[in-house]
Amino acid sequence: MTALLEVQSLSRDFGGVRAVNRVDFQVKQGEILALIGPNGAGKSTVLNMVSGVIPPSEGEIRYNNQGLAQVPGYEYAGLGITRTFQNLQTFDDMTVLENVMVGMHTKTKSSLFSCGLNLGRARKEEQKMREQAQMWLEHVGLASLAFAQAGSLPYGKLRLMEIARAMVAEPTLLLLDEPAAGLNHTETAEMSKMFQDIRANGTAILLVEHDMDMIMAIADRIVVLDQGTKIAEGTPREIQENPKVIAAYLGTEEEEGRG
Amino acid sequence: MKQVIQKWGKSFGIYLVLMILFPFVMPDEYYRSVGIIIGLHAIVTIGLCLVMGLAGQISLGQAAFWGIGAYTSAVLTTKYGLPPLVGLVASAIVPGLFAFILGRAIAGLQGYYLAMATLAFGYIVQIGITEWEPVTGGASGMISIPRVPFFGDSELSMYYLIWAVVSCVLLFSLNLLNSRVGRAFRAIHKSEIAATSMGIDVRRFKLNAFVVSGMFAGISGGLYAHYMGILDPQPFGLHESIKFLTMVVVGGMTSIWGALIGTLLINFISEGLIAMSEFVPGLQGDIDTIVFGGILVLIIMFMPEGLVPRIRSLYEKSRAKKAKAREELQRMERKATT
Ligand SMILES: Nc1ncnc2c1ncn2[C@@H]1O[C@H](COP(=O)(O)OP(=O)(O)OP(=O)(O)O)[C@@H](O)[C@H]1O
Ligand SMILES: [Mg+2]
Repeated sequence: MTALLEVQSLSRDFGGVRAVNRVDFQVKQGEILALIGPNGAGKSTVLNMVSGVIPPSEGEIRYNNQGLAQVPGYEYAGLGITRTFQNLQTFDDMTVLENVMVGMHTKTKSSLFSCGLNLGRARKEEQKMREQAQMWLEHVGLASLAFAQAGSLPYGKLRLMEIARAMVAEPTLLLLDEPAAGLNHTETAEMSKMFQDIRANGTAILLVEHDMDMIMAIADRIVVLDQGTKIAEGTPREIQENPKVIAAYLGTEEEEGRG
Repeated sequence: MKQVIQKWGKSFGIYLVLMILFPFVMPDEYYRSVGIIIGLHAIVTIGLCLVMGLAGQISLGQAAFWGIGAYTSAVLTTKYGLPPLVGLVASAIVPGLFAFILGRAIAGLQGYYLAMATLAFGYIVQIGITEWEPVTGGASGMISIPRVPFFGDSELSMYYLIWAVVSCVLLFSLNLLNSRVGRAFRAIHKSEIAATSMGIDVRRFKLNAFVVSGMFAGISGGLYAHYMGILDPQPFGLHESIKFLTMVVVGGMTSIWGALIGTLLINFISEGLIAMSEFVPGLQGDIDTIVFGGILVLIIMFMPEGLVPRIRSLYEKSRAKKAKAREELQRMERKATT
């Protein structure tokens, strides 16, 4: 299998602090790669760079063999990279359906004037957006809330809405930042099942998550970050037995225990 | 259109009835002229609402676009003898171009840069109009600008002409609001990061909103020039820009209807002040500036979302409460029967 995403020696500084340090990894076509690590390890920062939200300080990100350094952030979705956010970024004053329809932006073209005049093409696209968005809301189990104001929904539902919003764009690479945070056991299991379906349909997933049950159940491979540096990479089984990983996690637990 | 009628059917129906009946409810030339001015303001504020409420930008230069539109059409028709219809088309295009250039110049339109830039732009335009005497007539202005023929040129026909334009602008904006582009505006307002990662070119869409608002203001300006028949630079300054801003904020930035209602409200207050100033000598002069400034501050402090969104959310809350009460009742009845 060829690499869909190739991250080489990726670094990011904030002021004098190095949040991500020379990280390498690949996401292959149609696999689920989990990116794990203790709090503050730099996982979200990696995801932000891969999604074009912030530029890397050093290193390279290649997608389908194309360097992304010169690509502006708004072109990533069109290239097939979409994402969800750890700190939810929802459009609270829109309905759930409208939120997901925004995800279809790159799949539609009507100009401001054809939208304002509501020309045939704009109407057709609107119809298409509505249908696709409805379909994804059904997939994630929010169909009954389509017309609710997004701002009135609880966290867990908004996470599902963000997934639908990212998926209507039919990405080849889906980036997820802690999608299971705040979900209970059953909900997490349902979500794992959904990610497996998404993978089965050919979309690769780069998954940042703390929930080990989910990671162990669905990840094809795992990359472990600690304090900005990659400390391990391998299958779930290999990672589980890796002493460095255990030390990194125990280390933080000890600190937390002391604090 | 169908979708808009479905979604906005009731509101739009009420709007149409009130708008059409007004000149007969108030069959006085003076009130008709007030109605005309309100319509002209509404065209500007609906455009401003697209920029502020949807795309989340602040423009303090709307009166400048209004002025550019007014002078464009006035000069083309009066000096060059072009028909008013051509003048009006130009009065949309020329301010649109100005908005485009200004918007491009301040790359990204981040934060308060647009507010500052439009403030400066407003001053420059007003001074420019005053100083460019050979074309604009300078401080003494222009006279005998032709009227737009629209089933005659009575006050009544002007009223309907202008409100026909308001209705078109309103429909356009309501359509836009519920389209791909309008949702992109609203998305930008809430989260530029999320909007960008959905593939929205934030800069381009902000620029688009700004240009459309400039064009709306320009059309209104052109109509103003032809309606008044005379022009001078005085109304196109910061004072008027802030008045437009107040109208949008009072009504509720995020609602197109809010812009319309805010425009009505501020004009009523304006008329009230004029009426009162006949009896209270202290109310003469620039008192309205102070009143509008005060209203702006109070609204931002106590009701930042504005009138229409506030009323809508109150209404929805009370409806939800009623629905809940009804459910509760049904449940209790069911319990009682079993
Ligand atoms: N915008 C920023 N400015 C300054 N420092 C930042 C910024 N974003 C992240 N950091 C720092 O970079 C480091 C890595 O943060 P990051 O959010 O990537 O961690 P994470 O692995 O996602 O943690 P968590 O599991 O808590 O989400 C942290 O020390 C954080 O304080
Ligand atoms: Mg994080």
